[in-house]
Amino acid sequence: MKLFCNAFFIWLVIGLPFTAALAVEPVRIVLEFEPDIDNGRRTFEICARCHLPEAWGNNDGTYPQLAGQHVNVLMKQVLDIRSGKRSSPTMQPFVQQRTIGGYQNLSDVVTYISTLPMNPTHAKGPWSPSSAEYDEGKNIYLQYCASCHGATGEGTNANAYPRLQGQHFAYMQRQARLVRDNLRVVNPAMVTLFKSLSDDELDKVLNYISYLPIPQADLASSENWRNPDFE
Amino acid sequence: MEKHNKFSRRRFLQAGGATLAGSTCMPTVATANQTQQSVPALQRLLRSADVPAAKGARVIVVGGGWSGLTMAKYLKRFNPAFDVLLIDRQSAFVSFPVSNAWLADQVKLDFLSHSFFDAANNHDYHFMQASVLGFDHESRKVYTDRGYVDYDYLVLAPGIEYDYSRIGVEDSEAQNLLFHRYPGGFVTSSELLTIKHKIHEFRRGVFLLNVPNGDYRCAAAPYERACMVAAIFKQQRLRAKILLLDMNPEIKIKKAGFTRAFEKLYGDYIEYLPSSEISGIDVEKRIVETDFEEYNFDDAIIYPPVRASRLIEEAGIANPQSPQKTPDTDPFKYHLPDDERVYVTGDSRSQPFSKGGHTAHSEAQYVAEVIAAHALDKELQWRSPQTMCFSAVDIEPLKAMSIITYYRFNQQSHLFEFDRTHMIEKWDAQGGQASLAWAEGMYRDMFYS
Ligand SMILES: Cc1cc2nc3c(=O)[nH]c(=O)nc-3n(C[C@H](O)[C@H](O)[C@H](O)COP(=O)(O)OP(=O)(O)OC[C@H]3O[C@@H](n4cnc5c(N)ncnc54)[C@H](O)[C@@H]3O)c2cc1C
Repeated sequence: MKLFCNAFFIWLVIGLPFTAALAVEPVRIVLEFEPDIDNGRRTFEICARCHLPEAWGNNDGTYPQLAGQHVNVLMKQVLDIRSGKRSSPTMQPFVQQRTIGGYQNLSDVVTYISTLPMNPTHAKGPWSPSSAEYDEGKNIYLQYCASCHGATGEGTNANAYPRLQGQHFAYMQRQARLVRDNLRVVNPAMVTLFKSLSDDELDKVLNYISYLPIPQADLASSENWRNPDFE
Repeated sequence: MEKHNKFSRRRFLQAGGATLAGSTCMPTVATANQTQQSVPALQRLLRSADVPAAKGARVIVVGGGWSGLTMAKYLKRFNPAFDVLLIDRQSAFVSFPVSNAWLADQVKLDFLSHSFFDAANNHDYHFMQASVLGFDHESRKVYTDRGYVDYDYLVLAPGIEYDYSRIGVEDSEAQNLLFHRYPGGFVTSSELLTIKHKIHEFRRGVFLLNVPNGDYRCAAAPYERACMVAAIFKQQRLRAKILLLDMNPEIKIKKAGFTRAFEKLYGDYIEYLPSSEISGIDVEKRIVETDFEEYNFDDAIIYPPVRASRLIEEAGIANPQSPQKTPDTDPFKYHLPDDERVYVTGDSRSQPFSKGGHTAHSEAQYVAEVIAAHALDKELQWRSPQTMCFSAVDIEPLKAMSIITYYRFNQQSHLFEFDRTHMIEKWDAQGGQASLAWAEGMYRDMFYS
């Protein structure tokens, strides 16, 4: 069943022999796939063995919420982990061709994940919307983050700016520190920003983000919702 | 504290005296001192071991299994100022997870074996091959067969041992004989090699396997192993029967899946007998006794119930009342009562989490963070370990099922209980490939990246 027609930006890492200094150069290739949701669901079984059928992640931040994330964001992460650009030793073997399959399977599975309803009770930060810390976080967000990630953290698919709404606070805390400490490579603007913030400011802005409202239509009916595809 | 301390010191000397001087009586400190003077080898134990001088707070991790390897890596990750020393008595790591698939030739031994040197080099810690004999709380020393090492923090992750007394084999000579003739394949790598040889040399007759009771290591593995042995017998069209004596009333995990596999795939090979409490074994006559029956066998893999590594007891920290001789530790932070410098993790922990490599791996990341936080006077919120377990069911190609589960602490009962669980009880090649991806990911994390 072909439901969508989508263009993916696929980042491949191509090794150029004999040019040691520039041995690896990212080359941007645009490929077109027609995602097959049914195959996406079947492929997602591999992911669900760890990420669980709802792809909601864990409150403690050991797994991120994937449900409802933009297709291009998911695709970029999968490819980055596949190539080793983003270090995730435990996930890396799962996203290799020999396990998850080729680009068609990848495009199918990320499309499937993006259609899953989101966790209505994801883990939020410690400062409630009536607190001064929340307001401080809000100011930082509006000043530095909103222009790319959107006023309500909705992100954009076209630019592969992640949707931040609904992400677990502890997960964002850990990732932000990895980016700041150059242990995870992302857009350099993010590194500059994180380095300019104190630990405290970083936590406050992530706290604010964790309270950003998610459109009702994107949420699962309750925290007890279970993915019927896996019953 | 004081009690611990004296006890562990005496136990250490007792262990040294018994193994090295062949002394059979309960040695007092005085007799141990005499032995020490007369046997030069013993003097070695009481001098400082040859290890690089610590460049920061020294954390010693005892046991380079799934828990210790993960611990050493993440201690360094969470606090680069720590000087981490991993000690294991073995010279190389061989993975138990996926070893059943290796028994059936679905992966090579290379896939399972990894070097402690690589782990230490890639993660910037030290490795020492030595046997740990005990430790002293007060002077913060770990005693090994290569001398002592001072610590600031100590993590004990020495795994499990068999408890043969729980299948009616009490005498230590009989235990040894049984262990060597019919090893369980759940503690050391030589056992695995012996088992593989047995399975591939087997020609006809009764091959006996059992499932222990209690919280044994890796709930699914004995059933998985029965499937893999059956797969080989089936492939070779042997006139052989696998007798699977389960000491539990029913299949403990992935019941629907294993039941289907035993019936559909291996109906001609596996005879599954639940509620078969083993009460004795005659090694020479090759007879296993249960409360009601006697079973003759031609060859066997005997997996007795388990207990925490003897090191825990010899160090004087085991709670003698606990069924598996585990230490009393803080259930959330894993340290000994009154001592936030000594931690116990992995399969020798006191918490009732399922004994698994994945459990040990996820737990160790958390405990490493706890220790790093303690060094900075910070607190960390408890998080649940994850238990993830693949079970190979069929071969050519490898096919597997899987389960993942979490734990929560029940505030009313004050007990840990299972939280969210996701089980895939159908086996297929995708599952088989996923099981290899899982293992490879774990090895990558513990050894290479
Ligand atoms: C056949 C089989 C299949 C399994 N399958 C799975 C699976 O699919 N998934 C899963 O998650 N788990 C599985 N497991 C379980 C997993 O192997 C264990 O739970 C895991 O090894 C526990 O880790 P640990 O670090 O606590 O102990 P271990 O891995 O046993 O490590 C303990 C280490 O301590 C060392 N040591 C002990 N005493 C001393 C001492 N005095 N001095 C120095 N060193 C010492 C030992 O040499 C050893 O290396 C399986 C196990 C078996 C046997």
